[in-house]
Amino acid sequence: MRHPATTVCSAAALLFAATAFSPLVAQQRGASGPVPRTADGKPDLTGVYQASTRRGAWDYDVPSDQPGVPAARPAGDAQPTGARPEPMPFTPEARQRAQEILNRRSVDDPATLCLPQPTPRMTPVALFPVQIVQTPQQVVMLYEYFWQFRVIPMGGKQPDDIEPAYMGNAIGRWEGDTLVVEMVGFKPGLWFGNGLVTSDALKITERFTRIDRDQLNYEAVLEDPKVLTKPYTMRSTLMLREATRLREYSCVENNVDPQRYEKLNPSIFTRTPPGQ
Amino acid sequence: MTLTVAVRSAVALVLVAWLLPAAAHAHHSFGVVYDANQPVTLTGTVTKFEWTNPHSHLFIDVKDNSGKVVSWTLEGYPATVLSRTGWKRDETVKIGDTVTIFGWRARDGSPLAHLRQATLPDGRKLFFGPPAGTGEGAATVR
Repeated sequence: MRHPATTVCSAAALLFAATAFSPLVAQQRGASGPVPRTADGKPDLTGVYQASTRRGAWDYDVPSDQPGVPAARPAGDAQPTGARPEPMPFTPEARQRAQEILNRRSVDDPATLCLPQPTPRMTPVALFPVQIVQTPQQVVMLYEYFWQFRVIPMGGKQPDDIEPAYMGNAIGRWEGDTLVVEMVGFKPGLWFGNGLVTSDALKITERFTRIDRDQLNYEAVLEDPKVLTKPYTMRSTLMLREATRLREYSCVENNVDPQRYEKLNPSIFTRTPPGQ
Repeated sequence: MTLTVAVRSAVALVLVAWLLPAAAHAHHSFGVVYDANQPVTLTGTVTKFEWTNPHSHLFIDVKDNSGKVVSWTLEGYPATVLSRTGWKRDETVKIGDTVTIFGWRARDGSPLAHLRQATLPDGRKLFFGPPAGTGEGAATVR
């Protein structure tokens, strides 16, 4: 499997690392076909995608002669997404909490308990496909990872009876050829990697832009004044996978982690960060 | 079947560490249970295969130099991921097959490991799990 990458092993950085490639290289590799469009002229995002920078079949690593090390492969052929990831703009209190989370190696991650995850955490995971079904009235997004879905009505206002949810409540609209999804109404305590845990003030604005037949650019802007001093943007590229289908992922089927964790003495996994 | 618990060279560790960024969010943190500083290579007989989500488990019996058999539990990708990365349920590995695996041991010293790579009876190599460090985050906040 190919995964987005940065130079540190934090989940957020890994998930949302923007991959920058030379436009010249992208041109040399050849652009894919045109963006499919619906009868009303909007880009048609319908399809199965994988977080990847390579076109074609499902993208995954294979072993090399070095145990555990993947064989080298050519650079991806995604067109550049532009910006590079920035440090998370934590408030001082949130930064301290984030460091405490990393010191405990993220043992308290609610994903371990199979609780639902917010979409900016699921979308860029290269191990699992995401399926989009688009109609003029609504867009449906299906996630193999955690076997979640969301129905995004196009247009209208946020309802006045929102119940806090793991995935929030989404409303979609078109800005030119970009699908914009605004989400509010999140439960507090959601994890996004790098120790970021959000509050009930979280607002997420996602942008999906299909720039050619194969490539779907993904951007998520997180705003949460209780833990972030300014909006934080995560980016990834998704690639069309026509031969891939979603398979059932039941997180609770054989989740042995809680039992394993109960037996552990925290002293064996807690780490002290460098310089302390 | 011989038991080989080999500490890899510093060079290998550096390479593995460098590749950590290639990992992504996982259902659980690698480092809570497993230790990236304890790579392990084992050869043994497959006794059971849990082809399940959110993680699969391969169980092998490994005989050490004194003849004692140790039953190891090896954790890896969910079934959905294995299905897309070269594995076929009930075909790729069968009960009784001899396999050699590379992974990282559990911190508590029990016969439990994160299985990164398996070498099959026909010599093929397949990844069975992500690299070390997946899902636990960096040492310091960015």
